[in-house]
Amino acid sequence: MNFKKALIVYRKELLELLRDRRTLFTTIILPVIMYPLLFMGFSAIMSRQSSILEKRGATVAFQDSLQTRNEATLAVRDSIFSGLQRLDYVSALPSPPHVEQLYKDKDVNAIVTVSDSLGNVGPAKYRIKVRYDASEEAGRLLFGKIEKSLTATAKNEVAARLTKLKLDKQLIDPFRIDPVDSSTSEKKMGSVLGMILPYIMILTLIAGAATVAADLVAGEKERRTLETLLVSSATRSEIVLGKYLSIFTVAMVNVLINLFSISFSLRFLLAQSGMGTQGLQMPVKAFLILLLALVPLASLFAAVLLSISTFSRNMKEARTYEQPIMMISMLLGMISFVPSVQINNLLALVPVVNIALLFKAVMINEFTLAQLLITVGSTLFLDVLAIWATVKLFNTEAVLFRKEDDSSLKITRANKRSFFNSFYGLVYFALALAALYYIGGKWQSKNLIYGLEQTQVFIILLPVLLVLRLLKLKPKEILRYNLPRWQEAALIPFIAIPAAIVVAILGQLVNLIFPYPPEYIAAMEKLFNQDVSLAMSFFVIAVLPGLCEETLFRGFLIRFFEGHSARNAVIISALLFALFHLDPFRFVPAFLLGLLLGYLTVRSGSIVNSMLSHMINNGLALFIVTFAGKHWLKPLLSGKDSFHWWVGVIALAVFVVAIGIFHKITAPREVKQCAE
Amino acid sequence: MIKVEALVKEFPKKDGTSFRAVDEVSFEAAHGEIVCLLGVNGAGKTTTMRIFSTVFQPQSGNAWIEGHSILTEGDKVRQNLGFLSGDTGLYARLNPREFITYFGRLYGVADGAIERRIEDMAKLLDMHEFLDKKLEFLSTGMKQKVSIVRSIIHDPPVMIFDEPTAGLDILTARNIISFIRDCKQREKCVLFSTHIMREAERLADRIIIIHQGKILASGTLEALRGESGMTDLDDVFVFFVNQAAEEIKVAANEF
Repeated sequence: MNFKKALIVYRKELLELLRDRRTLFTTIILPVIMYPLLFMGFSAIMSRQSSILEKRGATVAFQDSLQTRNEATLAVRDSIFSGLQRLDYVSALPSPPHVEQLYKDKDVNAIVTVSDSLGNVGPAKYRIKVRYDASEEAGRLLFGKIEKSLTATAKNEVAARLTKLKLDKQLIDPFRIDPVDSSTSEKKMGSVLGMILPYIMILTLIAGAATVAADLVAGEKERRTLETLLVSSATRSEIVLGKYLSIFTVAMVNVLINLFSISFSLRFLLAQSGMGTQGLQMPVKAFLILLLALVPLASLFAAVLLSISTFSRNMKEARTYEQPIMMISMLLGMISFVPSVQINNLLALVPVVNIALLFKAVMINEFTLAQLLITVGSTLFLDVLAIWATVKLFNTEAVLFRKEDDSSLKITRANKRSFFNSFYGLVYFALALAALYYIGGKWQSKNLIYGLEQTQVFIILLPVLLVLRLLKLKPKEILRYNLPRWQEAALIPFIAIPAAIVVAILGQLVNLIFPYPPEYIAAMEKLFNQDVSLAMSFFVIAVLPGLCEETLFRGFLIRFFEGHSARNAVIISALLFALFHLDPFRFVPAFLLGLLLGYLTVRSGSIVNSMLSHMINNGLALFIVTFAGKHWLKPLLSGKDSFHWWVGVIALAVFVVAIGIFHKITAPREVKQCAE
Repeated sequence: MIKVEALVKEFPKKDGTSFRAVDEVSFEAAHGEIVCLLGVNGAGKTTTMRIFSTVFQPQSGNAWIEGHSILTEGDKVRQNLGFLSGDTGLYARLNPREFITYFGRLYGVADGAIERRIEDMAKLLDMHEFLDKKLEFLSTGMKQKVSIVRSIIHDPPVMIFDEPTAGLDILTARNIISFIRDCKQREKCVLFSTHIMREAERLADRIIIIHQGKILASGTLEALRGESGMTDLDDVFVFFVNQAAEEIKVAANEF
């Protein structure tokens, strides 16, 4: 790798981008003029709103509906009226004729009607009806003024009554509220900015990257310049690096220009409105940390968008593929608007969300170094992965020279005519997931055990059999409902039990770093401690999932992805299996289990192996929870229900040996299957 | 020089089988020689040349450019190679000077040398009036001149022209043809592909007839005429294609 050549590519790309009016406009000119205009527009509208009453004034009609007319009631009425008369910009009319018509014509903006005592016991009480139009800003403002005036009058009335009773007027005010704001102006500013800034930064970051990414490779393909570049003596990695740096630069420049323009406009606006910018200091240190944290994210976006650009045949296609990435990033970035969500070690692993929440925390100076490191580290990890993928794509001639007649998404391509293609597989999975979430969730909230049974049978198992029936396909053949050889089946416990133990220990390790939330543990315990017999629990937790989930994932869904290679099919079905659990904490264990189960089925040609394995896996969890207190299980466990680490070592050894034997004894069948 | 040994290139097809675009191709080309790959569209000419320029990797076989293997010494191969085709695009927002300098730098040529070469070539090809205009405003002929300079900016010993006159008007095509002749005079090893018989006839020292990925015949025009008993190159070409088809039929019948 010659860095100098990457720089040559980089410089040329920037030169070209600078000469592109479209890029120049969206990344530099637009932000520079947009924010001042936007903010000035806002301030104009806002000042207009507050001056509505001042300018136009308002008229309040005052109606007297008193039944009891004596000195006292009339005095109260008069003091209410004079209170209204004293309102700024408001004129009060005493009992005008045709008041309804006036109100309709908006000559009168509110009607205040005083009527009599409610109830005959106790001191006099008046009912004051205020009619106004709450759908209008002016109406609401007017009501606020009227209410304030009435409250003041009421207070005076109480004071008068107290004096009459020879009591201290001070009785009205038992409390005096004295708010003392302990937040520094920096923190105050930070909490506001912490909500808006992350979103704007992420938005401008990806928008900036997206303006140029499509052009850099897909554009070169479209204009037929790519081959010339490939023929030059720059290596593919150098070309990728140069182009990647260009996207990165544009993304960062776009963010900086946007931020600069925002802060400038904001200051201008505040200064103009007379609020002054004193005390409203941008937390400089925080800002620097943010820029640093933004670097890996910019780099990630650059790499992802570059790989999309590389994969696409032309700019139009690249833009189409960019859309979902941008949508998802923007939605994830919006997390900073949710008031209660705060960064923790687990959320620090989720891309985009982590940066958004870190910004929020940094702005009010409440974050840990671990969170910063995990955020930057995990983003960098994905970043390296994305760059690696881009280089790999760039070295794949089938991608770089995709022809116009290739269908655009590679995965939908395999066996387009047959039912079992990847696209239909994903559609079926999406439908099943939706059914699980909406219907299954409802069933399970009514009655957990019964709901789980229904879900397994009606959502997971039966639709598969129904689809096969409708398509007149043989379930036995498609779903691999074959009996395994006895040697295979005998090995399954030696595979499934140690595998479950190893995964459980992995889970324990993860739990050390990212502890499960207590409500999650409670929900899990609830599942395992149902008020039903152990046999019933075993049936619902182990047997049914073993039969139904295996039929769906290892029997049915895996078939959709076998077009490319059996290995891909196993990996994809395991991924879907993990997603299906709708549980971030179980994602990795479920994925690992899915890999094992997929392998067992595809390798042996019998789904019974994975069904047994699945049942043993789930059954083991139930077993541990049920018998955790028993003395004969104690030596294996540390704490309540976690394994000693040495159990894991033994389990791993047993697993490796057993899977080795399984691999060996299933080998001939594999060959036979290929021949078929 | 170019040396090619049993080159095979296959592309995967949608139905899972593969399509053999280049089938056991072997030949050599020396300095001061113009060799023509003659074949119809889809015969495997472009694929073969893309393997030489290391854009494609062959499934088997090997080729050497100035003694550097395309499999293991991609950088050196590209450094010794000038590549020009009829339909390459150019960066619209750069001017010819910037465009050529960009590639010169990528080839590691010093800036001073790039400048000198641009001046020399501009004089030769009459390019001075548009050297500093943006490429998007240039005519096809002007662009092709820019591409010519780009392809030799690093003074490569081997030149490859892939259908260099495809889609060009007669005057522009003439520029290219005289440039190819010029390359021969400068003792470069020249390989060009075409489906136009006249071009092959006029330019080539040796002609390699390629069809469906296979080399059917190769030699000087005279040798090919002698072998086929035809005089017109069109007829010569059709003769060899028919002969190959016959051989396949015979082979099929023997089974």
